[in-house]
Amino acid sequence: MIFDIAVLTIFGLIIIGMAAYGYKISAKTAEDYMLGGRTIGVVVMFFFVLFAISSSWTFYGFPGLLYLEGPGYVFFIWGSVAGFAGLYMFLGPRIWALTKMNRFLSPVEALGERYESKTLRLVLAISILAFIVPYVGIQPLGVGAGFQALTGLPALWGAIYTAVLLIFLVLLGGMRIVAWVNIFLGIVYVTALMGSMLWIVNVALPGGLPGAATAILETQPELLSAPGPRGTFTPVLMGGTFIVGLLAFSWPHVVIGAMTARDKNLFKWFPLLIFVFGGLFFYIIPFIWGSLVAPAIMPLEALTARAAELGTSVEIEADRVVQTIIVQELPGWFGVFVLMGVIAAAVSTAAVQLMTSSVIVARDVIQGVFKPDADDREVTRWARWSVIGIVILSLSISVIDTGAMALYLTDVSIPGFAQWSPALVGGLLWKRGTRQGAIAATVVGVVYLVLGLLITPGGSRVLLLDLHPIVPTLLVNTIVYIVVSLLTPAPSEEIQTQFFDEVDEFLRSES
Amino acid sequence: MREVMEHTAGKIYLTYLAATIVGMVVAIVRGAMSVPEGGEPFLLFGWMTAPLVAGVIFVLLWLVGYLVYFFKFWPYR
Repeated sequence: MIFDIAVLTIFGLIIIGMAAYGYKISAKTAEDYMLGGRTIGVVVMFFFVLFAISSSWTFYGFPGLLYLEGPGYVFFIWGSVAGFAGLYMFLGPRIWALTKMNRFLSPVEALGERYESKTLRLVLAISILAFIVPYVGIQPLGVGAGFQALTGLPALWGAIYTAVLLIFLVLLGGMRIVAWVNIFLGIVYVTALMGSMLWIVNVALPGGLPGAATAILETQPELLSAPGPRGTFTPVLMGGTFIVGLLAFSWPHVVIGAMTARDKNLFKWFPLLIFVFGGLFFYIIPFIWGSLVAPAIMPLEALTARAAELGTSVEIEADRVVQTIIVQELPGWFGVFVLMGVIAAAVSTAAVQLMTSSVIVARDVIQGVFKPDADDREVTRWARWSVIGIVILSLSISVIDTGAMALYLTDVSIPGFAQWSPALVGGLLWKRGTRQGAIAATVVGVVYLVLGLLITPGGSRVLLLDLHPIVPTLLVNTIVYIVVSLLTPAPSEEIQTQFFDEVDEFLRSES
Repeated sequence: MREVMEHTAGKIYLTYLAATIVGMVVAIVRGAMSVPEGGEPFLLFGWMTAPLVAGVIFVLLWLVGYLVYFFKFWPYR
């Protein structure tokens, strides 16, 4: 245990050291703290974004679901790859140019100005914070379980360790160092996830991956196709999962990444990395882990027996199956390296979400509503200190009911993120989109989502027509946006020039 | 995206991407990921399942389209 704690201490000190260095070299301006001075290049941006979206879920939840339900859930990944690439190909250049030209520091601020509405700015800020803040707390708690399994210390210690790292990293380092640290964390994470898989295949699967597939064909063949052993992933659910993945372009902590770009060339090269490294390499590792390696080494019967022995459920043990196999098959010292990988995944995601939340709190809520005359230093100070408040709040929400939080993430956060997408896409691409349309659509979408999730007579989500929450709510949101925009006066010529014509001109001239 | 819609190459590119999305949804809904009754699961190279193969083809199609459009036709290149 002393070895494990020493390694984790060194790992934590490296991250804190990088944050302190970031503080030392930073320009101490709001733009530098919140957007890394808009100097992020394509390689750093790639690691920044990829590991902002690849949380500890890619180590636990994703392979666990594939292990139980077969390969159908992978369509979420294919949709997400297209969604992220689409953001950088089609919306990213405009978000970047618009915010750079006008010195906007948050995407919510940009939309508030585009629609000339402080009300919309506040509505968007509150709804995004409501959906993103609980995510931050989930990550340290997830690490806590792995920490307990490895060191024997209470899970709370692991959660506190991760939370402290997060606070130091974001409070001191700001967006630039969060992006840079994500390279370090990403390398640790990929090495742990892929290294463990290669090692396991080498020691436990002499027939390699074809041998694993053959073994599964003999014991549980339905695991190798849809709808899977439980019949869950029907064609309709897989199609819906794919479409939900496509909406990944609206995740606020990914959108803000586009604002940190150094120049427009980033948007030309970034999709190449997303397709090649993300789609054809990175996400295939947990897929192979969950759908082939884990079921071949530890069939469902063995996992069910383990769950009964430990007094847990098959679902909980499936989430931990990768870690269980690593602990059983590989030397003990490798366990701490894997936990470092999980911590890296958790911190890299939560830090970007925390950074995004603090920018919105400081720039859009405090300066946008309560202290409009706050200067640059004051806004930066608010952003830094709000970090501590957000971490405490998010951890408290998560601790109250972790069961409900799992539901919150899948059924609330992702549909919640999508509710600002009509206002975002319309604001960037459609001159006719109006303030009234954006406010009405966002409010209707969020209220419909909340009511649809709360009103469940007999366990049925009648208001949501028993569909995935994102489908009916986003459809209604989009229709309201278009109809109300067409029924209300068009934005002024001045706004259309500033947010469309000048942006086009800037992008064509910028080199 | 406004700049993409302003020229023919861009319109073709968007149509191509939309066609791949529709193609993927149609393939899923028509049961291409399932096993025919009495049949065995599809396994390319002995281990790549149908949803994995479908996704790899989808990403490759997007990659090819992106390389052609962004390096030859993108107005801001």
